[in-house]
Amino acid sequence: MSKAIIVKGLDENGQRISSKDFEELIQQAFAKSKNLKLETYGQHNVAGRLKSEGKQVSITIDGPCGQRLGSMGMPGTRIVCNNSASDDVGYLNIGAEITVKGDATNGVCNAMAEGKVYIGGSIGARGLTMTKWNPDYQRPELWVLGSTGDSFAEFNCGGIAVVCGIEAKNPANILGYRPCIGMVGGWIYYRGKIDNSYAKNNVKAIIPDDEQWQWLMDRMPNYLKEIGRPKLLKKLSKRSEWSMLNTIAPQERALMFSGPMPMAEFKRKIWNPGFGGGDPIRDLAPGLDRSPIGMVETGDLRRKKPFWANRDKAAPCAYYCPVHIPTIDRLRLLREGKEAEAYQMLMEYTPLPASVCGAVCPNLCMQNCSRQIVDEKIDVQMLGRAAREAKAPKAAKSLKKKVAIIGGGPGGMNAAWQLARHGVEAHIFEKDTQLGGKLAQVIPWERLPKAIWDSEIARFMSVPNIKVNFGVNMTKEKFAKLKKDYDHVIVAVGTHQPRTIPFPGHERVIPALDFLKEAKSAKPPKIGKQVVIIGAGNVGCDVACEAYRVGAEEVILVDIQKPLAFGKEKAAAEALGATFKWPVQTKEVTKDGLIDAAGHLIPAQTVIISIGDVPALKFLPDTVEVITVGGAGWVKCDATGLTSDQKISAVGDVERPGLATNALGAGKNTAEAIVARFKGEEYKPFAKDLIAQCNLTPAHYLPLTTASTAEQEAERCMSCGTCRDCHLCETICPTQAISRQKLPDDSYRYISDDSKCIACGFCADTCPCGIWVLQPF
Amino acid sequence: MVSIRSISSDPGSLSPNDLPWIIEHREDRCTLCGKCAAVCPVNTLKLTYMRKRMPKIVLSSTERGSSYKTFVGIRQNTDVGRRCIGCGSCAMVCPNEAIHPTHNKTDRYRFQNTKGGEAPKRGGRRNEPGPTLLDKISFNRISMLTDPALDAGRHEFSMNTLLGRVLPPEEFIRRQTTGEWIPPVREIFPFIIGSMSFGALSPNMWLGLLQGVAYCNEVLGIPVVMATGEGGCPPWVLKSPFLKYIILQIASGYFGWDEIIRAIPEMQCDPAAIEIKYGQGAKPGDGGLLMWYKVSKLIARLRGVPEGVDLPSPPVHQTLYSIEESVMKMIQTMSMAFNFKVPVYPKISGSNSAKSVLNNLVRNPYAGALMIDGIDGGTGAAYNVSMDATGHPIASNLRECYLDLCAQGKQNEIPLFAAGGVGKNGNITQNGMALIMLGASGVHMGKFIMQSAAGCLGNEQNRCNVCNLGICPKGITSQNPKIYRRLDPDRVAERVAETFMSIQTEMKKVMAPLGRSQSLPIGMSDALGIGDKDAAERLNIRYVC
Repeated sequence: MSKAIIVKGLDENGQRISSKDFEELIQQAFAKSKNLKLETYGQHNVAGRLKSEGKQVSITIDGPCGQRLGSMGMPGTRIVCNNSASDDVGYLNIGAEITVKGDATNGVCNAMAEGKVYIGGSIGARGLTMTKWNPDYQRPELWVLGSTGDSFAEFNCGGIAVVCGIEAKNPANILGYRPCIGMVGGWIYYRGKIDNSYAKNNVKAIIPDDEQWQWLMDRMPNYLKEIGRPKLLKKLSKRSEWSMLNTIAPQERALMFSGPMPMAEFKRKIWNPGFGGGDPIRDLAPGLDRSPIGMVETGDLRRKKPFWANRDKAAPCAYYCPVHIPTIDRLRLLREGKEAEAYQMLMEYTPLPASVCGAVCPNLCMQNCSRQIVDEKIDVQMLGRAAREAKAPKAAKSLKKKVAIIGGGPGGMNAAWQLARHGVEAHIFEKDTQLGGKLAQVIPWERLPKAIWDSEIARFMSVPNIKVNFGVNMTKEKFAKLKKDYDHVIVAVGTHQPRTIPFPGHERVIPALDFLKEAKSAKPPKIGKQVVIIGAGNVGCDVACEAYRVGAEEVILVDIQKPLAFGKEKAAAEALGATFKWPVQTKEVTKDGLIDAAGHLIPAQTVIISIGDVPALKFLPDTVEVITVGGAGWVKCDATGLTSDQKISAVGDVERPGLATNALGAGKNTAEAIVARFKGEEYKPFAKDLIAQCNLTPAHYLPLTTASTAEQEAERCMSCGTCRDCHLCETICPTQAISRQKLPDDSYRYISDDSKCIACGFCADTCPCGIWVLQPF
Repeated sequence: MVSIRSISSDPGSLSPNDLPWIIEHREDRCTLCGKCAAVCPVNTLKLTYMRKRMPKIVLSSTERGSSYKTFVGIRQNTDVGRRCIGCGSCAMVCPNEAIHPTHNKTDRYRFQNTKGGEAPKRGGRRNEPGPTLLDKISFNRISMLTDPALDAGRHEFSMNTLLGRVLPPEEFIRRQTTGEWIPPVREIFPFIIGSMSFGALSPNMWLGLLQGVAYCNEVLGIPVVMATGEGGCPPWVLKSPFLKYIILQIASGYFGWDEIIRAIPEMQCDPAAIEIKYGQGAKPGDGGLLMWYKVSKLIARLRGVPEGVDLPSPPVHQTLYSIEESVMKMIQTMSMAFNFKVPVYPKISGSNSAKSVLNNLVRNPYAGALMIDGIDGGTGAAYNVSMDATGHPIASNLRECYLDLCAQGKQNEIPLFAAGGVGKNGNITQNGMALIMLGASGVHMGKFIMQSAAGCLGNEQNRCNVCNLGICPKGITSQNPKIYRRLDPDRVAERVAETFMSIQTEMKKVMAPLGRSQSLPIGMSDALGIGDKDAAERLNIRYVC
């Protein structure tokens, strides 16, 4: 060892040399000798960065030592500080051996990567923090004779510490408060009391094994020699007094701490026992199942479920038809190839399908036909006419009852027809010499072909239970007798008294009813070339057509309001040249024509008035209540046509003016109510709701450009509300829940399997006929 | 009558583009499994058949006419009553990512939501998307070299707050020596699950939350408490050891209090506190409202009311006539119910008049705290106009109350709790800590915990927001077991635990840079900054840019 060079920390004047200048002096001396004696006076960062080049470097420190003694110390450097040292001894040390005979303050070995630090006393806080270890080099070591301060070995990555607990500054807790936080490598030998505040997820307390004990004992004598306390060896060699804190490897930690308690365990051990071992709302809702379910469920966990509501709702045709003829069923029978049955079924509703449905009726059924969403409505006239040859239905077993019907118009005829069908004798008393009322008397043959009419009247007359008496002028006396002799009386006399207005010259005016009856008779009336018709409704249009037919050249229809005429009647009149004039209020009728309120003359040789007809009810007994509306009396009835006299009903125009179809519907309704009464049954009039159009699926049908035979019409029918057995629901159901089930009576139904159905509603969305409905449950 | 061939138009007729949420369906991906239509809570989805016409229009060909193709797709009902609510349940169950709702900012539905003369109601929160004022507050006083640096990950933090009247030290010592009554004070976690009733929430949600709260306390050591709302509390819960984690609420409807009083003799422990509800941020001046859809047999049983009826609570307590009387009468009755061992405090709506209430409480020796619920608070059911436009934002309201206490030197004596949109955009810890540094001793959160713990689908663009109708797709606010059983209470409890673990970590991440570890930085407003001069001035915090 070369001779020691002394470097003084005070200059010649006794002034402290700055750390910078002192470092320069050290480097100069180091170039001459590897053996330095530093008489420091608080200089910092001394004795580091001294490259030994294979030779032993020896630095001895005397005097007060500054911070960071041995900072950046190099391998081969041996530093001995004969006193205590300030903060950060061995800071960023990479190999120097540093001995501090006394104590060291905070931050000993901070960020040290290699080398050894021997402390002869105790150390302050944050010793051995951020300490590194590169496996290519030796582990850094810190030896402390006494105790450490708080936050010891934080973030230690591989350093070894030995804390002996001799003359400890804090004998009650020789490792200080919360050591080893974030420590991921290295280990600590300690001897003495600690407060167990070490970071338990970083280190664990262990007893040194043989190898670890051997390691300690191998090095202990040298340490004690370094700090000049060799006599302590015996005291520090008692193995039972030593413990260790060893790093927990991340892998090991994963095994040691499974994290917070699993919820299932918490539930079992803590939660459920808190409620006496059961569901906390078992008393409020006994038996309530709260176990988890999925988003899409079947069975009772669905919020809604599908129902096959076949025939639950009425199609628009049946709903709007006053007779409620189910046209969809007619068409279904046609589709099924049951043509005869299809027309026979119609016979159960009306005796005049060809004349009314097929000719005069404006076909309310079809005004709302759903098929119009796709293309055109079903041609129901063709279907009506096709029923012309159908046979009258066979009568049911006789009920041994007879009913008198006053009036053989459409209302009376259908009442008789229905009564006869149900086994009741129906006796019609008609004033005229023919049946049909206004249908026969006033509807022009252009609109109601005579051949069709005659054949339907013949069919009607062929029914055994129907007896017709013509030319009967009803009187109070006759009526009283009928009421006595028959089980029930139906008043169906219609309106055959023309309504007139008493303006000057009203006697010159011909009532439309009289004109039409005459025009249709064998001897048509003579009229002028110019004709004015007061009242421009559909009857007025009929009058206009007939006027042209019997010789008129110019026909003007006048009205005080916008003409109500519509449809084929209006079109026919216009086609012949009739014109409409409104508003026209008649002031007077003279031989020259009609004078309006403003005094203008509309020339005419013939003036016809067509403002409606009223009933003639003089024959009715006082027991029948009559209400007066618009200057005329009308029979007051309930929903089944029953008047205030329990033995008398009324149908048709006597109750309320309407279409021939309305009269047919009223006749059927009243007849069925009477039959039910005879049988002692409850009568339920037609009461189905109309199917909502939005429940149908029109997109299944393609628009057709050409119409069609009855069979084609049958195909076009959308079968609103009645299953057409198309299997589409079965096909679309995503869970194969829907199947078709044959029933013993050869009918069928579709069912949805609750255990498969998820209530998506595709069946309802797909069904062309609106049969499937989803109901909440 | 309009012909059925035509299409009628009503003032309320809406086209799909008029709806607030528009379903986008990709027919090329759809497998027609039906799950979307099965799960849709409002039954808006339907399988739709559409017909396409393909005219033959080749000029050189003489053949004319059209052929047709029918195709299917999932479409939405455009009826006002069955509009898509945007919940996205369809997208959740779709196996092929073929369907989802998209938001329509220019809907016309908003003009049609008054069917039958009913003013629009919903669940949720004020529909004001975007960052809130709280979101804009940053923590600017960072301790690096000026204070000891703290490590959020390594150091120990004490983050709890106090609920209850804190006596001045000299008074505390005096009373201790004389053996006089000392007001009860609870040490609790400053993020509190706010009042949501058993009834507003489904049984699975409510009990799941409590289970999570119990887990936080007993396993994680985080002293979380939750408030019940005014629907009462199941008797078994009242008699359980978990009652100590519950703040029982009494409100003007008094629902469920008979069961609470019945259970008092059998209670194993005291509740955490009693909250007297005078107002609520979502609908100030309006009482609670549980719509009939949600009054199931179970709820009717617990609340002591008939099944299937609307349960509105009056806007005011009917036996209270003045502020002094309210404070005296209610706080005293409730304190006495639990032998003066449970903190009792009122909850009010954020309001210009909050300070008046506060000053009454300061003079009342039994008042344990004041809870202020701001305009952004959520609710299970309220009129839109109440929710959207009525109330006072929490930040300045809380702040002026706190500064008022400071002026009186009472800021450490009567804790203020704040609520109303805390965590509205997910920044729960940041929002809460901002309020704490503005002077709150803690914050209540409702909607956030529903979103975090149970996956609530609602947002401020009126997504879902059908809590009032009992059809909550997640089962959070439904009383129909077919719906609420979708929610597994164990999973809710796990999520509650995860949420609070995360909040705890984030609190450390906020506190450590401030150099605070041993006490909650209540009123530490010197650490706050905001890039909005007016707000900075109003809140008396630093303007930063």
